[in-house]
Amino acid sequence: MSDTLLEIDNLSVDYETARGDLKALRDISFDVKKGEIVGIVGESGCGKSTLISSILRLTAPNTRFRQGEVRFKGDDLLTMPERQMRNLRGSDISIIFQDPMQTHNPVLSIGRQMVDIQHRTKVSKSEKRSIAAKMLAAVGIPDPEARLKQYPHEFSGGMRQRIAIAMALMSEPDLLIADEPTTALDATLEVQIIERLQELQREFHCAILFISHHLGVIAELCDRVVVMYAGAVVESGDVREIFHDPKHPYTRRLIECDPGHIKERARVLPTIPGEVPDLANLPDGCIFRDRCEQATDRCAQVPPLEKLKEGHFAACWLNHPEESST
Amino acid sequence: MAKSHSELSIILRGVAKDPLGLLGLIIVGMIVFSAIFAAWIVPYDPIGMNIPDRMQAPSLSHWLGTDSLGRDTLSRVIMGGQVALKVALPAVFGAMAIGLTLGMIAGYGPKWLDNFLMLFFDTVRSFPTVMFALAVVALIGPSLQTIVFVVMATSIPTYGRVARTQTLTLRNSEFILAERAMGASMTRILGVHMLPNIIGVLAVLAAMDIPTVIALEAGLSFLGLGVKPPTPSWGALLKDGYALIRQTPWLVVGGGLPIILATLGFTFLGESLRDVVDPKLRKNR
Amino acid sequence: MSPILEVKGLQTSFGAVNVLAGVSFAVEPGETYAMVGESGSGKTTVIRAIAGLAPAQAGSVKFDGEEIRGISERAMRPLRKDIAMMFQDPTGSLSPRLTVRNLVTEPYRIQGMKDKDLDAEAKRLLELVNLPAHFADRYPYQLSGGQARRVGVARALALEPKLILADEPTAGLDVSVQGELLNLLNDLRDRLGLSMVIITHNLNVVRHIADRMGILYLGRLVEEGTTEAIFDEPRHPYTHCLLSANPEPDPDARLERIALKGEPPSLLIRPKGCEFRERCPMASDICMQTPIWEVENGHGLRCLTPR
Repeated sequence: MSDTLLEIDNLSVDYETARGDLKALRDISFDVKKGEIVGIVGESGCGKSTLISSILRLTAPNTRFRQGEVRFKGDDLLTMPERQMRNLRGSDISIIFQDPMQTHNPVLSIGRQMVDIQHRTKVSKSEKRSIAAKMLAAVGIPDPEARLKQYPHEFSGGMRQRIAIAMALMSEPDLLIADEPTTALDATLEVQIIERLQELQREFHCAILFISHHLGVIAELCDRVVVMYAGAVVESGDVREIFHDPKHPYTRRLIECDPGHIKERARVLPTIPGEVPDLANLPDGCIFRDRCEQATDRCAQVPPLEKLKEGHFAACWLNHPEESST
Repeated sequence: MAKSHSELSIILRGVAKDPLGLLGLIIVGMIVFSAIFAAWIVPYDPIGMNIPDRMQAPSLSHWLGTDSLGRDTLSRVIMGGQVALKVALPAVFGAMAIGLTLGMIAGYGPKWLDNFLMLFFDTVRSFPTVMFALAVVALIGPSLQTIVFVVMATSIPTYGRVARTQTLTLRNSEFILAERAMGASMTRILGVHMLPNIIGVLAVLAAMDIPTVIALEAGLSFLGLGVKPPTPSWGALLKDGYALIRQTPWLVVGGGLPIILATLGFTFLGESLRDVVDPKLRKNR
Repeated sequence: MSPILEVKGLQTSFGAVNVLAGVSFAVEPGETYAMVGESGSGKTTVIRAIAGLAPAQAGSVKFDGEEIRGISERAMRPLRKDIAMMFQDPTGSLSPRLTVRNLVTEPYRIQGMKDKDLDAEAKRLLELVNLPAHFADRYPYQLSGGQARRVGVARALALEPKLILADEPTAGLDVSVQGELLNLLNDLRDRLGLSMVIITHNLNVVRHIADRMGILYLGRLVEEGTTEAIFDEPRHPYTHCLLSANPEPDPDARLERIALKGEPPSLLIRPKGCEFRERCPMASDICMQTPIWEVENGHGLRCLTPR
């Protein structure tokens, strides 16, 4: 029995637009093992939204799957019939979003929504309500029985996010996808949510795919990290390896730029100059080349995602010294 | 100014891509063209009597035949189009302009003004248009100006309400707050920053309203309460045709067909415009 | 030197909700002051009230010695040249149908300075914020978050203000471009002698841009001091919690996290005594009394059980 729960295999996805094809994802490969927490680090335009919508198969009409597979427990989700996909969504694979209001229907009470989610289980309504109340307690909502009657707008942002987590975990999914769940929250709330997620993950043993551009949270929560830039995976590996021994210039620069890392007041903060490339007009060669200080002539060719050591992959020519010295 | 041109062409291209929109654009184009150049393209004088040629069935010399006074139906249809637009366009765009202004003031100004304007709108809206038209016509007598006035007055609340809602929605946006922070006056905020973001929706409403007004004018003329004869009107043609339906049924076609075509054309155009303008509004937000 | 901005006892209520319960602070010319707080602390309301965009029922706001709290919009208008605001949503604060050129020169138009060569001014302003000249023809929807932010900065600087009020200037920016914006603000501040008030909940940003900072909780300042002093030795338990809540980008970091209990209380039912009491890890019986604001060596504190 394989340990691997989710396998993204050479996935390439385009969006057809009036300006041409936007190459949103190019040759993405990584996997998530059962019970593992994998972090996806990426900034605007890296393709993480496309990745999530591809896994869930909830894509815009102009999306084109050019190649690759998304295998969940061995089955390719991209070719699965819609009926089967619908059974997976919300039960085997759950998702929480950055904006909790996206998850909640503003005109239904929380209790009603949490009962509705359990529509696949064959227990009585009062059973479902008590399960819902238990989940609310598990995420730290005080007075859960009473709270079931309330509406989303009666809760603060932090509580709404916790309710979203409760709703996502109620079906005991194998995989929880968390799309920037703490980005909109204050630091103290973020910390509470992360700790709660850690506890729940230990209890439910689900795998988590955690997307964020907040490096501190990734470092604290995740077992492994995948670094994405402009639609490509540039590095992936164990969280310690990525933070202590990054093998891609983008990863290195990203860690350097994170202000949490800079203890003394800096006159001039580090930054990555330039802009993310236009996905409809990709430059030749390495995607990071235009903004990389260490770029050489070799970078005119796209570097492959190579295995540098067990579990650590990077796409950079600097990791492959040439036979003839420069 | 450069933007309006390219924006207009983007909108037109969007409409042309939609088959029904393109059809609507063509029909409306034809109607507007024939209305503008009516005096030059009519084959015969639309109002001059010509008794010897009366009540002729459609033929090569008279494509839609003649009426009881010998007037060429086709010429009257073409001229009727000019009359229809002479009523519809000023009435609708006048109502839109006034409704827009009042609506923006209601949405942005003090609460008491909003309440007052809403009361005014609701009062006017509660008048059934046709009855109001009949009353005014009874008082002042029928004429083109009367109809324009009546239609404009009764349409203002619709545009006013939409403009008000849009203004209320945008009023708390960050860019309006930024303008206030820079000290912009209410006139500037409404004229430069609100108006361009609201007008798209109103323009679509106006396009959809035109066929309603055309039908209203035709209806009033059919009742003899619209434009004074001998000015041709599609409604008047219907009336004449209906009166002598055995002898001159082609008049009914001449009166009814353009109304149907105009309604379809403007409606297709309006719906297509709405589809094109809406996603743009979302994107620009 | 007298402060460029002096706020005393600022109070703002929206109906029954008392958002600001008496905020007092001062900003010296050329200084950057950071107002730090979480959602519900009232930090956005503070700068809006200062700028006259939110009501202020009591208190005093003195700009360059002149009282501006509660003055009419007409009286405020000439001062708007000197006080510029930057908003949290970078693209949302730009009028969607205006070009960048028109956006950055809007202040000139509003103040009736049409005789200036606006095209030249637009060019100058774009250069000031390191945006290429061809951006002048772009529309807000064609700008990235970072670019839109810079247009906001350019616009704020158009009339050479003395004071900039910035609401979360780095919100929504990728980490790799945050530095760019902060460097720009620092540089402009040095070159133009600007004073700034920055509202943020991001402590990392504060460290690199602010000279002094104030911690706001439930519409009141609980601690204030120089940035170094506060980071080195936070005295109020809330400040300490905030500082420790910063996850570090290092998986092996051993974090001494001080957990905050629960959520901020509702503003409708302010707790009696010290308002932070119910969530404070160091609360004791003495906290049933209302703490007063005490200043020692330029460091202000409102706490009965300081560290």
